[in-house]
Parts: sequence; C-alpha cells; structure tokens
Amino acid sequence: MKRSRNVALVLLGAAAFGVAGCVEEKTEAAAFESKESCLAEASPGGWFSAADCETAFAEAQVLHEETAPRYESRELCEQEHGVDACADQASSGGGGGFFMPMLMGYMIGQALGGGGRVMSQPVVRSAGGGFATPDGSTKIGALNGGGQIRASAFAKAPVTKGLAPMTKAQVQSRGGFGSSAAARSAGG
Amino acid sequence: MQRIPLPERPDWRAEAEKLGFTFADMYGEPYWDETSAYSFTLQQVEDDIEDPCTELHAMCREAVAAVLASERLMARMGIPRPHWDLVAASWQADEPELYGRFDLAYDGKGPAKLLEYNADTPTSLYESASFQWLWFEQQQAARVLPQSTDQFNGLHEALVARFAQIFAADTDVHFAAVTNAPEDYATVETLAWAAREAGLGAHYTDLDKIGITANGQFTDSEDRVIGALFKLYPWEDLLRDPFADHLAGAGCRFIEPAWKAILSNKAILPVLWQMFPNHPNLLPASFIDEAPADLLASRHVIKPIFSREGQSITIYDGKQVLEAATARDYDQHPKIVQGYQALPEFAGMHPVIGAWVVGEACVGMGLREDRSLITQDLSRFKPHFIEG
Repeated sequence: MKRSRNVALVLLGAAAFGVAGCVEEKTEAAAFESKESCLAEASPGGWFSAADCETAFAEAQVLHEETAPRYESRELCEQEHGVDACADQASSGGGGGFFMPMLMGYMIGQALGGGGRVMSQPVVRSAGGGFATPDGSTKIGALNGGGQIRASAFAKAPVTKGLAPMTKAQVQSRGGFGSSAAARSAGG
Repeated sequence: MQRIPLPERPDWRAEAEKLGFTFADMYGEPYWDETSAYSFTLQQVEDDIEDPCTELHAMCREAVAAVLASERLMARMGIPRPHWDLVAASWQADEPELYGRFDLAYDGKGPAKLLEYNADTPTSLYESASFQWLWFEQQQAARVLPQSTDQFNGLHEALVARFAQIFAADTDVHFAAVTNAPEDYATVETLAWAAREAGLGAHYTDLDKIGITANGQFTDSEDRVIGALFKLYPWEDLLRDPFADHLAGAGCRFIEPAWKAILSNKAILPVLWQMFPNHPNLLPASFIDEAPADLLASRHVIKPIFSREGQSITIYDGKQVLEAATARDYDQHPKIVQGYQALPEFAGMHPVIGAWVVGEACVGMGLREDRSLITQDLSRFKPHFIEG
C-alpha cells in the first residue's frame, strides 16, 4: 500500500527532454551574401536554379523591408546587431526616424516535399557574431554555405513595417533570470 | 525507528553511474550512503509522518490565505511590493501546486516537528523517488530485506497523477534549472519523466537562456514560446531578477505557482505558530523583533527567511552560540526565531526526515543525515524501509 511501481529511472542529461516534443521537419537550405553568389552556385541539376536565386532575392528584399526589426536608436540597434550593422531610416512621411539592421544576405530553402517554389528569408547581422533571420529565431554562423535546417526558419516573421520602433524595454533579450541566486544550485 | 547496518549492494556505484546518478559522491564524500538504512514501523510512518504532513500542508494553505489578507504579514515575507498582486492573483486563481518537502525532526517517539517547508524548489527528488526505490527492490531480491518489508514511496505515481490532473493532455511544459548543477538537473529530469508519463510534452531550458519576446512572452533556449514553466529556482529570486516585471504579463503558467513564495519562506513559521499555537507538529516561532523573552532565553535557532541547504542558520542556548552554519550567504535577510528541537542521534549521525507532498497529500519520504546539528550540503542521503 506504500509501494511504488516506479522503475529505475535513467537520467540521460539534456537528451532526455524533447523526446515527446515535436521533431521539426527539416529542409535543404543555403545562405548567400548576394544574388551573385547564389547565381554562382545554381546549377540545372541542383535543387535551386538561377531563376530561383532571382525570385528569392527579390522576395528577401521585400521581406526585409516588412519584417526586419526597427529600433528607436542606433545604440539599441547596434546592441542587437553589432557596430555598423544598422542604417538610419529617415522617416519619409514625417514623424521620427528609426534604425534597422541592414540586409546582409538571404537564405533560400527547398520547398517541403521537394517540389514548388523555393522559400526565401532575409538575414541580418547578429551582435554576437554570425547572422540571423529577422525575428532572430534562426542563427547562422556564416554566409555562402548550406545544409539542413528546420523548415520553420522560413516562416515569415511578424510584420514590423508601420509599427512604432522598439524601445529598450521591448527589445528581445535573454539572461534576465538567474542572477539573484545566492547559492551554486537553486534547490535545497 | 532504528538505524540498521546493512550490506551494500556490491555493484551500486556502477548502477548509479549507469543510471546517470552522477552525484552519488559529492565533494569527495559519499552522498548516497546505503551502509545503513532507517527502519520504521507502519504506524510510525502513517500516524507520525504521512497524516501529520498532509494536515500540515492544509494548515499551510490556510496560512497563505491569512498572509494574503494582511498587509502587515505580507510585509514580513520579503516579497517586493510591486509583485504582491502577482502572488495574490495566483492564489485567487487557485493555481495548483505540484510538490514540496517538509523537513522534520523525528525520533520515532514523540510527534514529528516541522523544521521548515521547502515548498518551492525541493531537490533530492531523484534519489527519493527512484534510486531509493531501486535500492529497496534489489535489497528485497537479494534477501537483505525480508519480503514483508515496504517503503513509503508513492512519489512517482503521485507526480504522474498530479501532472495529468493539472495540465490538459499534450500540454507542452518547459523545465528550467540552473546550468551545471547536477542535483538540480536530476530533480527536473525526474519531474519531466513523470510529466511525459502523464501525456505531456517536456522540454528543458537552462534558466539563464530564457529570453523575452518583444510582446512579453518568455522563450526557451531555442526561441520557442514558453506557455508553462516548471522552474527549479526560488520565487524570491525570480521576483528580484531583471525579468521580474515580465512575470505577470507573460501569459505563462508557473509551477510552483507564485503563492508558494509565501510558503517556502521561513516567515511562514511564525504565522503558523500564531494560527495554530501549540500544535504538536509545530515548534514555537516568532519574528525576531517580536520574539518573547522565554523563547530567546531557552535553546533556539535563528534562521533567515530565505535560506537553502542550512545556510546562515545559528543555534543558540540563550545568548551562547551552540552551532553556526559555515556558509552564510543568506545573512542579509530578515530573521525568525524558532524553538530548538534536537535532532535525534543514531550512531553519531543526525537524521532529518524529508516528507514529500504532491498536490495536497503526503506521498513518500527520504532521509538525510549529517554529523552536524545543522543539515547542510555535505549531508548524506539514507534509504529507509518499513518493517514487515
């Protein structure tokens, strides 16, 4: 009556988690610093063509304009994207200007299932080094390379165009928990 | 209650390693120690530990309601005032608790006395729920323990049932712990195991990798939004971290709920004593500035309202210090006074009983013992069994 049917639980380390979670679908992807570097890699036998490079680049430019983060100050933008990675966007319709990370290149991805149009996503610089998609959710170390990444990296980021630029308090950040711990471990 | 020398399982270290129980030795000392075990009668377990702890938890819930109803008491809890509403709202919304551990002084004879309630971030869950049970099964199989023996250990089943009760099926729950703390990690993994068995999704993130999105939701180390978070990190620290102001609006359900900030707090001990004076399972306790002369004249313990692993605790006989914890990281916090209850001594060791509460019921126990009168981080975990 006091008994447990518990079996010997194996502690696997972090690998134990996420087993029951979603295993994300992956797709073939490549990142380029320019349309030209994409064109140089395109081949009739490959998964993307020269025409794919053209349409994906045009799409990335539009997406960057629509979804790249907007900051109220250069300082804030550079904090997130690094020094000299941001451009002043003087407002054309009156009101204040704002700062956006510059388009540094784009990622193209094979459509899930193999057929159909390639997917496109602009990339901007990331403060810690490397590059990131507009919402920061996918980070890539270097441009002009390729490999398998999760397909959700190509999901369109929330539209920022027309919204007020982010203040310091709104900027996505990390590391806001854990600093008050007095002890080496938090339990007891 | 006895401390009985027993042969160790010859291969337990290999077994521990195989199972990932990497902290069976800590700081060069054994932490898991099965050279002896504590035995109890069924009556001792049921009448002196199980039922009183279920009652103590019910009393604690009454005390939470009383504290929330009193500005004077809330001011004693060390909870930053801007977050009082968050704590109160979690109680008013009846946010369910998952687990906690009462630490008790008990010698097998008199009533068990509550030393404190680790109601927010108790660890030692893996060794209590799983490795202790494995020890019991294997020692029975090896005929070291008779077939008629038992163990007070319904922890795992209770955790599975509780997770299934408080979350809808397939809910994704994140588990966060401090990076590189194996004991903490083992506790969250044990909980995640139970959560998965209950049909939930379990994801891990290091606590310091939690991020915040532009619209105020918490994200994990892979930028997935966190809708439900088990955090092995105390509320009193969460409420002082840079992200504290995001807690209320993050749309995130916390386990333990915010009202546990009131319970896992030694300031609850004077409140319990005021509400339930002379209760057999309570020790006299008072806020230090209200302490009656007779409490301070006799043997007593001074504890900070926040403290882990026995830190910053001092035992006095009147004005004379009998024993003081060596680690004092919590010295700056407000203090309470508690009547001194000598821990029993078995073969030179002082055991403390950790009685586990899951949901609102006591469902199992584990013991730690220490040479010192203050159970600190060098204490050893000891298995127990119920005599047949």
